[in-house]
Amino acid sequence: MPYDSYLHMSSNQETFASHLDPSKESSTDVSSVDLSFLPDELNQENTEQTLTEGKQGVERNHEIQGDPSRLQSVSEKNSNGICTDNFNLSNSGSNPLPTENSTLPSPENSSSSFFPLTSMTPLMPVTPVSESSGIVPQLQNIVSTVNLACKLDLKKIALHAKNAEYNPKRFAAVIMRIREPRTTALIFSSGKMVCTGAKSEELSRLAARKFARVVQKLGFPARFLDFKIQNMVGSCDVRFPIRLESLVLTHQQFSSYEPELFPGLIYRMVKPRIVLLIFVSGKVVLTGAKERSEIYEAFENIYPILKSFKKA
Amino acid sequence: MNNTAASPMSTVATSSSGRATGKSTSFTLELQSMMFSLGDARRPLHETAVLVEDIVHTQLINLLQQAAEVSQLRGARVISAEDLLFLMRKDKKKLKRLLKYMFFRDYKSKIVKGIEEDDLLEDKFSNSSNVNKRQKIAQDFLHSIDQTGELLAMFEDDEIDDVKQERMERAERQTRMMDTAQYAEFCESRQLSFSKKASKFRDWLDCSSMEIKPNVIAMEILAYLAYETVAQLVDLALLVRQDMAPKAGDPFSHAISATFIQYHASSESTAACGIEAQSDAIQPSHIREAIRRYGHKIGPVSPFTSAYRRNGMTFLAC
Repeated sequence: MPYDSYLHMSSNQETFASHLDPSKESSTDVSSVDLSFLPDELNQENTEQTLTEGKQGVERNHEIQGDPSRLQSVSEKNSNGICTDNFNLSNSGSNPLPTENSTLPSPENSSSSFFPLTSMTPLMPVTPVSESSGIVPQLQNIVSTVNLACKLDLKKIALHAKNAEYNPKRFAAVIMRIREPRTTALIFSSGKMVCTGAKSEELSRLAARKFARVVQKLGFPARFLDFKIQNMVGSCDVRFPIRLESLVLTHQQFSSYEPELFPGLIYRMVKPRIVLLIFVSGKVVLTGAKERSEIYEAFENIYPILKSFKKA
Repeated sequence: MNNTAASPMSTVATSSSGRATGKSTSFTLELQSMMFSLGDARRPLHETAVLVEDIVHTQLINLLQQAAEVSQLRGARVISAEDLLFLMRKDKKKLKRLLKYMFFRDYKSKIVKGIEEDDLLEDKFSNSSNVNKRQKIAQDFLHSIDQTGELLAMFEDDEIDDVKQERMERAERQTRMMDTAQYAEFCESRQLSFSKKASKFRDWLDCSSMEIKPNVIAMEILAYLAYETVAQLVDLALLVRQDMAPKAGDPFSHAISATFIQYHASSESTAACGIEAQSDAIQPSHIREAIRRYGHKIGPVSPFTSAYRRNGMTFLAC
């Protein structure tokens, strides 16, 4: 329950504050830690945006929209590392907060970070927080790599393994497929392997192990070193049409929209470093993540923005 | 100086008479859609579209011929991106816009490849130096012709493209008033381009009868230039139309930015009268006036200042 976490936070203000702003000296003056570590605009921007979703309608958003330079600076501040909306409290190792917080979606965490650290005021939020979007992006594809750490005879593999293709004139790797999980692997003679098509990290690892076992069974001393997720792709649907022309105008620094070339708007989010493809229909594709949390974080970041550009 | 200083209008006249000898491919319908997406009325006039098609066609054919000449100078066997970039070297803004387009194309294929699993494999099959191919070509070429360093400075330059900005603002204004169905139609129109109909485009330009043909990237750039020409024509025609509209009273009205006036004028007119769709559409006369002004030689030295003017054709796209 939030009670415990708030109490913890108040008593550990110094460490908390210094976690959020590593560049600051940990202040001993407890009473002055009144969110000053948060740049003003950032604080306002986020709470105001979340406020309007709940209360005042879109007027404020138009105001915000009308000042692209301000938005820019907010996002730049985001990129500087202090991003309150998305400060994942479970990230820091010596975080005094109980780990239950790490399972909550970020905006709710951020609301707790805005709340009075200075005093033990009522723990119900005074400013209503926007519910997190309620939409969870589905992972569509994971690309991972692993090192089998031995030289491989691709011709032998192609001859003896089922579902393997090898066309040395076209490409210098064996392409192998398995059905469960439905994935494809590119196996190189150096022993390196790329695995694509899995829908989750665990499945990708499982598939990679299966491929490794196939190689092992063919007589190679295959190991399983340095398994690493290289890219994750997620997608979801916000279920309302979006006015991409205004989005590209207001977020010029981050977006490109050339409908003659590609029907979606390409949004390069800085923190986290994710690329989003946003379509008029409301479908959103997120790519470039190394961890699942980045996809969720990116989506929670973009959702209020998309809502403000909803096609009425 | 070349005496056959054919103004674009007279070349338009000659080409249209030549066209009577059966040109089967016509982009008139697509052009109408494109003009709508660029700021014209919901149903652009057919005559306007025909005129625009004529102008674009003539300009592109001329551009191709000049590119072929440059190509021959180099001793190359195909017209490639470098030749077109060379022709555009004089106008930095337009060149920059073209470069941005090329880089965006590279970037988009990189991203889409990462998403589609099949594409990922396809890419591995083909030469992996495909990444940022267009960017490399452009950078290498500009590096080779750049004497003063201005061209290379363009890559670092981060100035906002005013024309592009204006177009974005216009699109935003246009879409603000639309309902979902109209907006869907608008989005579809925006997705139209010459590059989507590559083979029809090639026929339209009559590439097969040329000695030196353009390669794939050159065709991409030509499709882009064709689209830019249409966009420029619409931009200019809208400006002309706004100029023609009588405005009572305000002596400084002509000094205020075009988009500002357009916005206010249109909101007044829609409030005042039931909209006569025809009068909102761009008329051929607007286009002709726009071309006339664009090609108008001003000043005593201007006939000698531009290579393109010497040839009598002022290109809208470069």
